[in-house]
Amino acid sequence: MSELVQVYLPMFLVFAVGAAIVAVFWLGGHYLGPKNPNPEKLQPYECGNDSDGARGVRMSVKFYLTAILFVVFDIEAVFIYPWAVLFKGLGWTGFLTMLAFIAALLVALAYCWKKGALEWES
Amino acid sequence: MTPGGYFFGVCAVVAVLGALATISARNPIRGAMGLLATIVGIAGMYVQLSAQFLAAIQLIVYAGAVVVLFVFVIMLLGPDAHGADGGKRPGSWARWIAAPLVSVLLLGGAVLLARVSTPQRFRAAPPGHGTIEAVGGDVFGRALVPFELSTALLIVAAVGAIAIARSRATKPSERPASVGATRRLFGGAIHPRDARTVDDEVAR
Amino acid sequence: MTNDPWLRALLEGAAVVTALMTAVAWITWLERKIAGRIQSRLGPTMVGPFGLLQPLADAVKSMQKESIVPRDADALLFWLAPPLTLALALGTAAVIPFSPGLLASDVDIGVLYALALSGLLSFPIWIAGWASNNKYSLLGGMRMVAQGISYEIPMVLSALVPVVLAGTLSMGGVVRHQAEHGWFVVSAPGVGFVAFLVFLLTALAEGNRIPFDIPEAESELVAGPTTEYTAIQWSLFAAAEYAHSLLASAIAATLFLGGWDGPVLPPAVWMVLKTGALFLLITWLRWSLLRLRSDQLMSLCWKLLVPLTLLLLLGAGTWVTLAT
Repeated sequence: MSELVQVYLPMFLVFAVGAAIVAVFWLGGHYLGPKNPNPEKLQPYECGNDSDGARGVRMSVKFYLTAILFVVFDIEAVFIYPWAVLFKGLGWTGFLTMLAFIAALLVALAYCWKKGALEWES
Repeated sequence: MTPGGYFFGVCAVVAVLGALATISARNPIRGAMGLLATIVGIAGMYVQLSAQFLAAIQLIVYAGAVVVLFVFVIMLLGPDAHGADGGKRPGSWARWIAAPLVSVLLLGGAVLLARVSTPQRFRAAPPGHGTIEAVGGDVFGRALVPFELSTALLIVAAVGAIAIARSRATKPSERPASVGATRRLFGGAIHPRDARTVDDEVAR
Repeated sequence: MTNDPWLRALLEGAAVVTALMTAVAWITWLERKIAGRIQSRLGPTMVGPFGLLQPLADAVKSMQKESIVPRDADALLFWLAPPLTLALALGTAAVIPFSPGLLASDVDIGVLYALALSGLLSFPIWIAGWASNNKYSLLGGMRMVAQGISYEIPMVLSALVPVVLAGTLSMGGVVRHQAEHGWFVVSAPGVGFVAFLVFLLTALAEGNRIPFDIPEAESELVAGPTTEYTAIQWSLFAAAEYAHSLLASAIAATLFLGGWDGPVLPPAVWMVLKTGALFLLITWLRWSLLRLRSDQLMSLCWKLLVPLTLLLLLGAGTWVTLAT
């Protein structure tokens, strides 16, 4: 088997063991717990009102905007990872490269700020 | 089978089941969950191909960011995300013919190609090709210009997102006067008092 | 140690997860003791000496309660969300270096892996909120993901400061560099210390700890995404939250406080001490501070922390270039 899988194997087995422990708790709850459902108990909680659930709810476009800003800055971070590792070998050239990159993204952030996209609630 | 083989098997099963769930789920959120499973399965395959940096990026960007974006768009659309019929109509009879036909054609094409042409052989990748040093060396070496140009792409994405968000804003007249300017600009629920369902809207 | 790679990996994985679950059980006791003292109470005292067996009693009790799936909920995703959350939280433990030799997976991108898992953690909780078919749960889940993804940016960028200083993404490598050249929280004038503070703040926000627990703000959202959860399923979420806080403390100790490096005492003891001290700090903050408003939370992240961490990275770069 390849070297890499060998290094990563404990990592995946941590997941497997974690899943096994979680399953034990889960099964314990399944067999030890009572099961007496009734219509009142199964009603979604809504502060005493009859609930009609959350299926028809529309969420604010704010959340979408936050998500797309996150995608933009997350991809930026992806480029910074290799830069951070290789930085010592790149010297001032590498520094200026990243300076230009970060400056451009700060401009984008300033634009979003000015347009009110960073305001959560007014 | 080698441990690597078992590992590939697990990843492949997760990826294929996720893909099936993505295209067959009635509920768009469940479809997105299937997509998430596919992405994680493929990340596992990257690890097996010694491309560990790519695997981490796959998890960070696709599982962590793009799926979240999809889900937030689905939540933004609310009930509209289910399509005009609410996803309840049993679909056209044509799909029962089209889906098997396309599958058989694809499979047949693949078998035929494998028979008539010699399989393309790629040179083995050099050891360590998937390390962050190797990938970064390329990004800050021969791909330096595309890398700097990618900032333009990222800026356009941010600007475009704001433009789309504004055009979706509700008309000011439909909102109570007490609601602030930003809320009018970006209409929708961020607080329980705004979380009205379509039925509530009809009742008003 | 045996030579069979499967058996060895399995043993290492089992050791790490068992240690972590035990630690999680007893930090719930610790937190309740501290909270009690801060509020002039005693905390748990009845089960075992000093109430030490309380976590076991809690686990058994929550298994004996009824698991309720609300009407019209998406049952499959409702059942899947809690175990998924806890398994994801435990998975981070594989890359934490407890001592020079005790590290399950010394992968070359350990920091990246820990940050990726930490970023994914808010998603299964969102699934829980959505599957519950309850407006409070759904809004809590939406806020949790929005907060999680926003704070992931400054978290990742501040965690990259030690990476720039050490020149490696391997967790073990970062600690070895600090053992030779001094801890990052004090070396690299100012930059390391500010990055450490930002990392702690963002770790609080990612873990939904006070002052950043808006997704479960009781006064408006009941209990947030986990409102509809009962019995052992709720306990799995609680365990995941504690595991996440504990692992965030461990990552902060590794990246900024020198990990297992320290005089006299064995390395593993130093690691446990540093992680414990950071966890105590988080607990202390939780019982002392008030909750921020959601607009303050978002402003703090996007208007202060994101530009600040970008500048910090450039500062770290300047320092490294000048020092060599």
